[in-house]
Amino acid sequence: MSGGQTRPLLNVEGLSISHGVVPIATSLNMVVERGQTIAIVGESGSGKSLTARAIAGILPRGISATGDVVLDGISLMRLAESELRKIRGFRVSMVMQDPFTMLNPLMRSGDHIDEMLRGRPEFASRASRAAEVKRRLAEVGIADEDIARRMPFQLSGGMCQRIALAAALARDPELLIADEPSTALDVTTQAEIITLLRRVQRERHMSLILITHNLRLAFSICQRIYVLYAGSLLEVGDAAAVERQPFHPYTLGLLLSEPPAEVRVTRLVSIRGSVPRAADVVDSCGFADRCDWAKQICHAGKPPMAPRNASRFTACIRQDEIQGELDALRTAALSAAPITPRRGETEGELVRVDALVKTFVGRRGYPIRAVKDVSLRIMPGESVGLVGESGSGKTTIGRCLVGLETPTAGDICIDGIPAADFGAMAKADRARVRRTIQMVFQDPYSTLNPRHRVGQALEEALGASGSPVTPERVAALLIDVGLSAAYATRRPSSLSGGERQRVAIARALAVKPRILVCDEPVSALDVSVQAQVLNLFKRLQAEHGLSYLFITHDLAVIRQIAERIYVLYRGEIVEEGPTERVIGTPQHPYTRRLIESTPRSASQCTT
Amino acid sequence: MTGSSVFALVMRRFAVAIPLLLIISFAVFSLVHIAPGDPVRSLLGAHASDPVTLAAIRERYHLNDPFLVQYGKWLTQVAQGDLGVSIQGNRAVTSIIADRLGVTIFLSLMSTVLVLGLGVLLGAVAAFHRGTSIDRAVVTFGVLGVSSPAFVTGLFLLYVFGALLQWFPIFGPGTGFLDRAWHLTLPALALALSVMAIVVKITRAAMIEELDRDYVIFARARGLSSPRIAFAYVLRNALIPVVTAAGLIVVGIVAGAIYVEVTFSLPGLGALTVDAVQNRDIPTIQGATLVFSVFVVLVNLTIDVIYTLIDPRVRFGRVES
Amino acid sequence: MSSPASGETRGTKLPWRIPIVILIAALILTVVVVCAVLGDKVSPDSPFLQRLRIGDTPPSATHIAGTDLLGRDILSRVIYGARTALVGPVVVAAGAFAMATLLGLVSGYLGGLVDSAIMRWVDFMFALPGTLVAIVVVGVLGGGYWTAVVVLIVLFTGPDTRIVRSAVLEQRPLPYIDAARTLGISKTRILFIHILPNVLTIILAYVVLDFAFALVNLAGLSFLGLGVEPGAPDWGRMVFENRNILFSNPVALLLPAAMIMLTAVSMNLIGDCLFERLAK
Repeated sequence: MSGGQTRPLLNVEGLSISHGVVPIATSLNMVVERGQTIAIVGESGSGKSLTARAIAGILPRGISATGDVVLDGISLMRLAESELRKIRGFRVSMVMQDPFTMLNPLMRSGDHIDEMLRGRPEFASRASRAAEVKRRLAEVGIADEDIARRMPFQLSGGMCQRIALAAALARDPELLIADEPSTALDVTTQAEIITLLRRVQRERHMSLILITHNLRLAFSICQRIYVLYAGSLLEVGDAAAVERQPFHPYTLGLLLSEPPAEVRVTRLVSIRGSVPRAADVVDSCGFADRCDWAKQICHAGKPPMAPRNASRFTACIRQDEIQGELDALRTAALSAAPITPRRGETEGELVRVDALVKTFVGRRGYPIRAVKDVSLRIMPGESVGLVGESGSGKTTIGRCLVGLETPTAGDICIDGIPAADFGAMAKADRARVRRTIQMVFQDPYSTLNPRHRVGQALEEALGASGSPVTPERVAALLIDVGLSAAYATRRPSSLSGGERQRVAIARALAVKPRILVCDEPVSALDVSVQAQVLNLFKRLQAEHGLSYLFITHDLAVIRQIAERIYVLYRGEIVEEGPTERVIGTPQHPYTRRLIESTPRSASQCTT
Repeated sequence: MTGSSVFALVMRRFAVAIPLLLIISFAVFSLVHIAPGDPVRSLLGAHASDPVTLAAIRERYHLNDPFLVQYGKWLTQVAQGDLGVSIQGNRAVTSIIADRLGVTIFLSLMSTVLVLGLGVLLGAVAAFHRGTSIDRAVVTFGVLGVSSPAFVTGLFLLYVFGALLQWFPIFGPGTGFLDRAWHLTLPALALALSVMAIVVKITRAAMIEELDRDYVIFARARGLSSPRIAFAYVLRNALIPVVTAAGLIVVGIVAGAIYVEVTFSLPGLGALTVDAVQNRDIPTIQGATLVFSVFVVLVNLTIDVIYTLIDPRVRFGRVES
Repeated sequence: MSSPASGETRGTKLPWRIPIVILIAALILTVVVVCAVLGDKVSPDSPFLQRLRIGDTPPSATHIAGTDLLGRDILSRVIYGARTALVGPVVVAAGAFAMATLLGLVSGYLGGLVDSAIMRWVDFMFALPGTLVAIVVVGVLGGGYWTAVVVLIVLFTGPDTRIVRSAVLEQRPLPYIDAARTLGISKTRILFIHILPNVLTIILAYVVLDFAFALVNLAGLSFLGLGVEPGAPDWGRMVFENRNILFSNPVALLLPAAMIMLTAVSMNLIGDCLFERLAK
């Protein structure tokens, strides 16, 4: 798709971004042709969002950029603010991540588009603007013109994202930058928005830069991929080619870390360690510390991007030597695991939930029925998934099981003990239930008390279960989750997200529970760390004979970890069964929609 | 937003204010009884105290009745405009207060205009020039203002501009509109400075928070003009916290007015209250405190209603999906 | 949820130096504290000795700040005044926040009726014009400095409780509290071992600000003739007593007024600085 005659729409040369003297991104080179879609893929700390803002010309205070960003021959970095304002919105525009905070809460949604039209003579009258607003709303799939009069807080996330898109496109820019446009949305809404983006891009023959951490999403809709890691580009190439055969160990690692939705694998390939800061890896390959193929030469200086053929570049110095090993790893890792035989009904249920109902009182007294009528079973040693999007009630169910919420109606039985109302239980029963079922929470950054050392948190958990509290036991817990005993004296603020989540798991295991309720335990982690933690869950299950209730919206994750799943929609179970069966041949329309929304590979992209 | 729901909202706020006023009136009423010594003495002052006068006082103020009955009768009297008689000079409290009200209102209005106008402006300027020397200067000014009680600022202003430079008179309220404005300039300024600092601080903080918001970034990315972003996005959203702090401002002005009137010897309601307190003139204390409190409660009520009207999230309530 | 851009600058904090203003503020406060503690050793003269024959005099060699109407040395009185300027406000700030912490913890964590009751009372306190109440109550009750201190403690507890309660409410829904509850840890332990340490830092910043506010209020009450007893070397009281000698010895008036302002400014600067550092 690279045109030789026409000059590219956007040419980024040697872009470097820094926060004072601290580097955030170094020497980025990118090319975007007219009508082309490219993806900048990176995890947190890669510098991708700031790169997007540098291109759009709206860096935050204190952040500076050098290098050049050339739009159709015009050098944007050298323009004065007044000149830049003629480019923003007219030729380059941007859509951001969180639909709820992107719109002005005091302005009607239609006004966000209306204000972009003022100043043009053909839209001088209010009526003409209103008509145009209606037309543009229709373009983004909003047929009901009443929506234009609503305030943002009255609309759903998907609606807000559409409005924001319409506003960003209101002056018909040639280049749109979409920074994680679907990350904050539900899986099904995500798919809708991404489809919308593709359609709009094609109809307008607009160039699109998609910023994302999701490699599969990038493959499914973009033509060219730029892989960004710790502030430098590691690999560039056409999407299909990169997916088939990554030329960089990090790209391969990222690809394999994301649990495939198509197949259940024996063990997820994870990348050890965590993402470094750009400032710490200025003089070496950013990935070297985590790379299984790193040699002395990788630390000798930052490897430059080298071309491998007309359209592929890689920053791996050893690429030609190790390509064979990379390919072999890829094939091996994606081979399907043997289907685990269904466990026979040998013992009684560990957890039994019957007709659970939970109704909350919302603002102004309106009842919110979070859980309508849910029944489920978990057998000992079994790993059960609870799949649903936001608003499905999945978190509420988990919280009811561990006593953080009390159901409005229905029964819960844990290890034979009625446990629907923790407050009404006898003290001994309650203590026993607490030693049977524990919970792992979603946000690793607030799951630990910031003022307590790791050892203190674990000692408290040990004490709560009545076990002896000794440094040996604390050390044993830490080692069990893959951390060294030295972690006991550290504070949460010095730990990475993955490490914090491991400590949280150790804390839950301190009471030697038989079942863990895991509420989205990996969704807040970097992709490369997710796989590590999922592998940990699998190992712990095998070693301790644990059961899991794994609550998530991510079908790909569920496939790797659960044998049996329940699909939850708006407080009700709509489908249940063995994971392979439900994902392979879904019966309920909602399940089907959920599966279709999961991003697939580049080979399915129909561009 | 229907008219009837606005009305319902206002009525609800009113319903909260009424018990508040009752409690305040009850507390004010009890002042007579919590003052050390015989309540009769509090109501009589230093005058002659033969048994006949004492009995007459007891009769007039219903001191022989049970406590709550006394309260009830007192409340009825107040509702009819009778706030008792001052022990200094035997004038009706209501008429004394009426005399003094004008000066205090004039002073408060002058200060409020300064506080809101200058305060919001400085706060906005500081926020837009965050980190520069302009911002640091405004912030320092803010800290100075908050730390200087109105009487300290008043004294310095009085000394420099009144005594040394003699640009302004140093006591008295003046007669006629312009003369009064000239007389009240220094006091209003002193009063405004201490309260303005709070407004500057809140406006600046609110605007800085707004400038970092996603919707401002998105507006910039779309290429909207700076004035549009400044007004429709930043200022409008930032004013909400300022309005919620308006209650603080009102209280600050009331408190400051008292001190400023004393410093500049102005015959206002504040000076009257202090004078009454110094002389243990209970009826006057009761009357003045009641007037101030009712005023503060009513202003807070109005601000509450205004806030409910300007923030659509409060008006429209729950989210429809 | 904060924008991704902020996540990318996480960990790139620039080094922080103590601003000059804070150093000056700390210096001023040190001087005031020294005066308060070592009053008699530092002052050139007795603050109580009256020299009725000379009456008020402007600054001179023997009396650097002059004398007041009763011939007392102004500078000595200002130095002694540091004591009442510091002690009362410290008690007010500490007392108010001690009570507010207890009330705020209970109210914020337990919720329900307890919370409603406490918040009704807090709202009521907020609706009152505090300064007016202080003036009226202190005046009517008679009593002196310590009555004023107690009245201020009661008045400050209301707004302070609200602050503590919001800090508690911020912590309550966080997963680490949920984890503690799931483990079966008692409510008392959660309140004092888990929540309190996390709200203490913000409370500290507010305590400093409260101190400055209490200082200003106490001085104000003395300025009106309430609070401190006549003749005591209190800054506010001195302003009250020396108003009439504005023309013959303005220093007698302006020096204590300036001290009130400088001490309050220093405390406020430090409090603001703490606030900015801790609220990150």
